[in-house]
Amino acid sequence: MKASLLAVLLGMTPLMAEQNPAPAAEPATLATPRSRALELAGAFANEGYKIRDGFWAGSIEPAKPLLIEVNLFEGNEYWFSAAALSPARKISVDVFDQKGRPVPGERYQEGPSSAAGIVAQKSGRYFIRLSLAEGEKADFCLVYSYK
Amino acid sequence: MFTRCAILAAGLASVAPLGFGAAEPLSKAQIQSVVRIEALTIPTPGEFFAAIDKQGQPNWTQLFQPKSAGVTSSRAQMALMLGVLVADGYIAVEAQDGQGVKNTGKDIINLGTKLNVSKTILGRGNSINDFAENNDWSALREELEATQNEVKLAMAEQKDQNLVILVTVGAWVRGTDVAALYISKNYTPGLASLLRQPAIIEYLLSQLGLLPGSLRLDPLVQKLEQDLASALKLVDTDPDKPFPAESVKALSETMSGLVNAIAEGAKNP
Repeated sequence: MKASLLAVLLGMTPLMAEQNPAPAAEPATLATPRSRALELAGAFANEGYKIRDGFWAGSIEPAKPLLIEVNLFEGNEYWFSAAALSPARKISVDVFDQKGRPVPGERYQEGPSSAAGIVAQKSGRYFIRLSLAEGEKADFCLVYSYK
Repeated sequence: MFTRCAILAAGLASVAPLGFGAAEPLSKAQIQSVVRIEALTIPTPGEFFAAIDKQGQPNWTQLFQPKSAGVTSSRAQMALMLGVLVADGYIAVEAQDGQGVKNTGKDIINLGTKLNVSKTILGRGNSINDFAENNDWSALREELEATQNEVKLAMAEQKDQNLVILVTVGAWVRGTDVAALYISKNYTPGLASLLRQPAIIEYLLSQLGLLPGSLRLDPLVQKLEQDLASALKLVDTDPDKPFPAESVKALSETMSGLVNAIAEGAKNP
């Protein structure tokens, strides 16, 4: 109930916002895409990064990368952390500037968890691309943190 | 500065950090498929203020001049004011003014009561008090955003979906008001460039454009649309050229006028 309302609130299509029950191998009480994304982001919080409360969740399929728009401030440092559940095996996060050019930065990659870190060189619009590099359609969640 | 050490120090040493940037540029078609989600696409006032802190030394105590809502029965005005109060909360956090944070939290709860969302956020109000008591400024930033998101969720649950965007607009307008005021008095091209966020204003205008006719006839909403369109003209300029001091001043005046209109209510023309 809350999930569907949240989907409406966040402006997602029902398909994107679909939340499938976690497979048996992924105990729902222990692992959700959001809990894993937050776990990853939490590591950066130790470095003074503040985690945004908002998140982007949905389903991702192979060869169908998803893009979200964020608006960043020059000089701020950002980490975009994403995680997916099985059957996703490897996801990746990339950052692009407002003209669609890749932004150099740092990347953390471990199977279905991935993060990209950048320093915004200009204020304005950026695009975060989430790709499923290996595995099958799966639920994901992306959060970001800044300092 | 942002370094690889951050990753290692963050306890993720099991996987080496990789440089990236070799990806192909996005095509226009790909960019057109982009998703916008209010909860992530619109930055918090805290992010704005963090960027200002990197380039300037604002006296946040001086900048913390909290607004109080005038008496109104307009739910649109109350929703906008709620956003303003959330932004005021962030300013109080920057000023490390515990009592100011508590007072702002109380005002948010009071306004939430009038909007029938207080049950949801009462717990948050208690947390805000506790964190303010313990000077936990970092937790307060997260709590303020969480409070705002819970208010929006409660609004959506009680079929007040149209008010959600107004909370966002109120917070953005107030954050920009305070930032532009500081930058207009302490102008540097670097600081001024932080104000150049045309995509945010475009998004807010697009969402205001989706409001039902009755709300769009509200004089305050009409003023918002008009003034945000003026603000967009000011900030939608060549990002490779400095954002001039005159434009910062004009933006500051526009935002200040809007915040006053939200607090006092716009008059029918």
